[in-house]
Amino acid sequence: MSVFKDADEVYKYIGGAFATAVSDPKFIEATKGTGLVIRLIQTDPDCEMIIDWEGQKVLTGAAADGVPSSVQLRMSSDNSNKFWQGKLNFTLAMAQRKVKLDGKRSLALKLLPLTPGIFESYLATLKAEGREDLIVS
Amino acid sequence: MTLEHKRVLSDADFEPWFEKAQKLSQLFREIGMKYDVENTFAYPTIKPFKESKIGALGIPVEFGGPGGNILQISKVVSEMSRGDSAITLAYNMHFIMFGIAMANMSDEQNKYWGGRVCGGELIFGPFSEQRAGFSGLADTRAIPQPGGGWKLYGKKTWGTLSEAADIITSSATITDAEGNLPEAFEDRVSSEMMYIADWSVDEDGNGDGVRIEKSWNALGMHATGTHVIHFDGFFVPESGYICEARTGLFSSLEWASLMFASIYYGMSQRVLEESRAVLSKKTLGAVFGAVAASDVKVAGVGHIIDGVGDMACKVEQNRRILWQTCNDLIDGYEDEWPLELRVPYIGLAKTTVAANTTHMAQKAMSLVGGSAFRKGTIFERLYRDSCAAMYQPLNADQTYTYIGEYLLQPEELND
Ligand SMILES: Cc1cc2nc3c(=O)[nH]c(=O)nc-3n(C[C@H](O)[C@H](O)[C@H](O)COP(=O)(O)OP(=O)(O)OC[C@H]3O[C@@H](n4cnc5c(N)ncnc54)[C@H](O)[C@@H]3O)c2cc1C
Repeated sequence: MSVFKDADEVYKYIGGAFATAVSDPKFIEATKGTGLVIRLIQTDPDCEMIIDWEGQKVLTGAAADGVPSSVQLRMSSDNSNKFWQGKLNFTLAMAQRKVKLDGKRSLALKLLPLTPGIFESYLATLKAEGREDLIVS
Repeated sequence: MTLEHKRVLSDADFEPWFEKAQKLSQLFREIGMKYDVENTFAYPTIKPFKESKIGALGIPVEFGGPGGNILQISKVVSEMSRGDSAITLAYNMHFIMFGIAMANMSDEQNKYWGGRVCGGELIFGPFSEQRAGFSGLADTRAIPQPGGGWKLYGKKTWGTLSEAADIITSSATITDAEGNLPEAFEDRVSSEMMYIADWSVDEDGNGDGVRIEKSWNALGMHATGTHVIHFDGFFVPESGYICEARTGLFSSLEWASLMFASIYYGMSQRVLEESRAVLSKKTLGAVFGAVAASDVKVAGVGHIIDGVGDMACKVEQNRRILWQTCNDLIDGYEDEWPLELRVPYIGLAKTTVAANTTHMAQKAMSLVGGSAFRKGTIFERLYRDSCAAMYQPLNADQTYTYIGEYLLQPEELND
């Protein structure tokens, strides 16, 4: 049983946090010229998002179909909820195949310095939406 | 931060560094046999090694070093190993640990510790413990102190270079105030830290909260002085925290596997050199065996000609896979590999070089003949020393496991 009711909730909170992040000047500056387009694929509930940092847009569900990406990240929605709060041990999750990361390493590394800011954005979104129940202690 | 692999130091500017390696290699060659017999670290090498400042070769320019890259460091390690692999394996710990630490430290830490390495100081890295070597999550405990920092308690069983080092980098698991390890596996992984700290012990190996148990006694690599390190209240300040250990180690494991590969590449050059020296001159005289003739030189015997040719091919294979892997990192070719296979693909250089070199050391024993089996000959020593290649990370078995698992994994995630 996932912490999310359905895909729409995922798009609202995780997608919402990314939508805020991609138009934040500090992320725009940090991702300029990187070509970083992340395809985030989640299971249970199944959902798919494109986070296009340079294009400053987030596409969800059918709108993300067939859109090219440079880094692909796959995990369960529960792990995604933990991960974007900075609460999932990524190295361990990769080693145990709970997370799959594909793409060029040089591009995937560009995601690393962005993560603390994304964690903040996601936590702020959950708080603003009154969804403290999704916050992992 | 991550330490980028790039070309900064020109070939011409690298030349004097290689000359330093050649000088040290000569010294190691001269005294290597003595320290193999005495079964101790080669103490007279400490002063010339530190004074040469060769340990600073890889420090980036922005932190005060010449900015030598992983290929250039590999070349100096192999050159020294050609002189004596056991002595060089000890100093190799410095190159490994400086690489791993620098790839994971903050700019502030790199500036401070890099500056000290530029001054000639050496780093060692006893990570492995009794229970499960390098892959075991540290049982060494780091107990948080009221004023900040940690006191360490535990034992590291493979402490190469401990008698010459000035700086330690290692791992320990952060506990609660009572010293209890985290119970959940995930918490245990997250609580395992990589740290860096001052290292100071007296002649007997005693320091503040730390002790070297000088108990190294093994089949080969005698001159490494790979001792057991006991921690009993060793203090690590908060500023010594580098990163979560496994994340740091796995993102920069090239410094371990390619530096070990460099050791065994140098050893393979030495096996070939020594084999040629003996086999080009040895005369069997009148024999009645596979060859029956009145005056036989081994240099004319088919399997010996082929054997030496095979050795030379293996040395060249070693050079190619090692240098090409270093270049793959420097030129960004690693981008073409699946992300999960970065560690084993880099490790392939080490496992291939190790397999070639252990094979060569054994083959040399057989081609040279029974005299090579006698204690004190270079061949029996190379044979013993080459066996160490099986152990250092990544070992061949685990490399195949990583790759095989990746190829056979199901589409579904493992939740
Ligand atoms: C000369 C020499 C010097 C050394 N110096 C140092 C040093 O300075 N610092 C340092 O940290 N280490 C050092 N080492 C230790 C070396 O890295 C260890 O040999 C290594 O950590 C492996 O541990 P182990 O040999 O105890 O084997 P173990 O880890 O006990 O392995 C036993 C078996 O289990 C398998 N295995 C272990 N873990 C896993 C896993 N996670 N998954 C699947 N299979 C596994 C192994 O492949 C092996 O077959 C040195 C070794 C030598 C020979």
